[in-house]
Amino acid sequence: MIDLHVNGVHKHFGGLHALKGVTFRVEGAELIGLIGPNGAGKTTLTNVLDGAIKPSTGTVYLNGARIDHLPPYLVAKAGIGRTFQVTRAFRRMTVLENLYVPALALNPGKSRKHFHAQAMEILEFLTIDHLRNEYGRALSGGQQKLLELGRLLMLDPDIVILDEPFAGVHPRLMEVMYRYIHRVNEAGKAIILISHQMESIFTLCRRLLVLNYGDLIADGDPETVKSDPAVIEAYLGEEEDQSGTGTARLEAPGHA
Amino acid sequence: MRRHIPATACGIGLVFLAAFPLVYGASDYDYIMHLWITAFFYAILASSWSLLAGYAGQFSFGHMAFMALGAYTTGLFNNYFYLTSAATGTCFEIPLGSWYFVVLDPIGVSASPYSCLDAARDAWTVDVTITKPSLWFGILFGILVGGLFGWLIGRLVLRLRAAYLALFTLGFSEILRAILSAEIGVTRGQAGLELDPLFPDGVSILGASFDATDKLPTYYVMFALLLACIALMMRLERSRFGLFVRSLREDEDAAAALGVHTVRYKLYTFVVTSMIAAAAGAVQAHYIGIITPNILIILQMALVVAMAVVGGLESIVAAAVGGVVVYFLLEFLRNDFTIGAVSIDMTIWRLVFFGAIVMLTLRFQRNGLLYAFIMWCTRAGVAQETVAKRAAAQQPPGKE
Repeated sequence: MIDLHVNGVHKHFGGLHALKGVTFRVEGAELIGLIGPNGAGKTTLTNVLDGAIKPSTGTVYLNGARIDHLPPYLVAKAGIGRTFQVTRAFRRMTVLENLYVPALALNPGKSRKHFHAQAMEILEFLTIDHLRNEYGRALSGGQQKLLELGRLLMLDPDIVILDEPFAGVHPRLMEVMYRYIHRVNEAGKAIILISHQMESIFTLCRRLLVLNYGDLIADGDPETVKSDPAVIEAYLGEEEDQSGTGTARLEAPGHA
Repeated sequence: MRRHIPATACGIGLVFLAAFPLVYGASDYDYIMHLWITAFFYAILASSWSLLAGYAGQFSFGHMAFMALGAYTTGLFNNYFYLTSAATGTCFEIPLGSWYFVVLDPIGVSASPYSCLDAARDAWTVDVTITKPSLWFGILFGILVGGLFGWLIGRLVLRLRAAYLALFTLGFSEILRAILSAEIGVTRGQAGLELDPLFPDGVSILGASFDATDKLPTYYVMFALLLACIALMMRLERSRFGLFVRSLREDEDAAAALGVHTVRYKLYTFVVTSMIAAAAGAVQAHYIGIITPNILIILQMALVVAMAVVGGLESIVAAAVGGVVVYFLLEFLRNDFTIGAVSIDMTIWRLVFFGAIVMLTLRFQRNGLLYAFIMWCTRAGVAQETVAKRAAAQQPPGKE
């Protein structure tokens, strides 16, 4: 079973204390929302989890193995995959080549031919199979986000971190993304979803982590979190909370 | 149909180049052969730089330094190392079975230096065989030294990108040039280090004999080296290596997050391209017969960059063809011409015209003249395929 254990992670950037002893655990195929205001430390935490930056102190264990000292390529092989806030499709490589990169990186003895059928199935699922031979740069912003998701399906990690997947995406493509998230989750993978779109977070996630100025201020089910005074204050400030508008911004769709 | 044009053109070009020395018979044979040999040399450098910069995104300006390392390593090997059948007692020497591997003292710049080997020769009372190790060992040694320095520089620039990488490698190149200039005792500095020709005793090919100054054997050696280097690089480009280095060019962080060992592939690229540059430098050094530190001046590096850019930075073959075309263009631009009453002295204006051609290429065909054509041929069906598939997907069910 998937077991990610983040234990007391601190991260300092000079005088900035970006993460302050963040501790949480992901067990099994959870679908977790990671939310917080801008500058809360969400992307820093993601970078720590995928090995792009090392924590100042604290540890990260994945399935019993310590991974916080590993470089990103080994973290990816260990089982953590991510997308980026700003899309990072390989723009001067074809869509199919984009998908082959993680497949070949994980399987040294195999060729592209071996993964062609799998790549085509993924592209069809993501509704961008007609673009398979186009360069990444020829795709729209939303299609490039789908391409990033496709690469993660080829990587097939235990834990998928999606950083703002819905930002600036057409509703029709968002439906595809929803189907993607369900597919990955039903395949037994854990998902950490970072988004400012509360509607999507409340629709999809069964557990929320809330970061504020590097502190993990809440960890629980959406109903509990949205009524947590610390969360409301973090999002809207004390004054607005007292005015009674605080909970409205964190309401689940259909309940506002 | 269009898709096959590049391969067909390459085939015709190969046959032409393979047959050229045998069928060309004009009075300027030696001059034209010299142009081809030098053009092949630049083609190797331009294509290997395209692998480094165009594929892997490592804009190194130290490529000519690796070329020079190959040239000077084989040059020093050729000048300093001997095999003797008896101990000299005057030189540094290592016994190798019944032979001695002898290293001469610094030769300096005097016209006829009296070396430790000369002293030993005067002292010997018996016949002693003195021979030089095959210069091909020197070339091989030069390639290895190029690869070693490629690895070292690759390690040092792992975290550097764009302008920082360019400046760092330029600094390395200038340091090497300064050392080669300053160490006059060893390298003879600007006086130049002389080397034996590739075939000092001549060579016989299919019954025909060629002496050391004949250009035909060197033409085929350089041509074969060019083909071997291109074949190696194309094989790498089509393998997982090519896929990974392109991914790290596009986005190193994203490539690493997808499991690509970016450090390893960056280093591989530096080592491979440095070895290729060193090989070209070593062979060219023996062909020219003398090398000076000026072989790695920044203008030479700029020329190689211009060749790769004019041909097409993202294609090994296009960059190689760019090397040949630009070199011949530079030679063609030596010819004075007259427009009406105005006579153009191309000894003065040659580089101005050349610079203008490079600028126009960058302005109107940034990906190179030949690469654009290759793309036009090889990606002919992609847009139609995309549109057709999208149209089919949008068609209502049941409607043909």
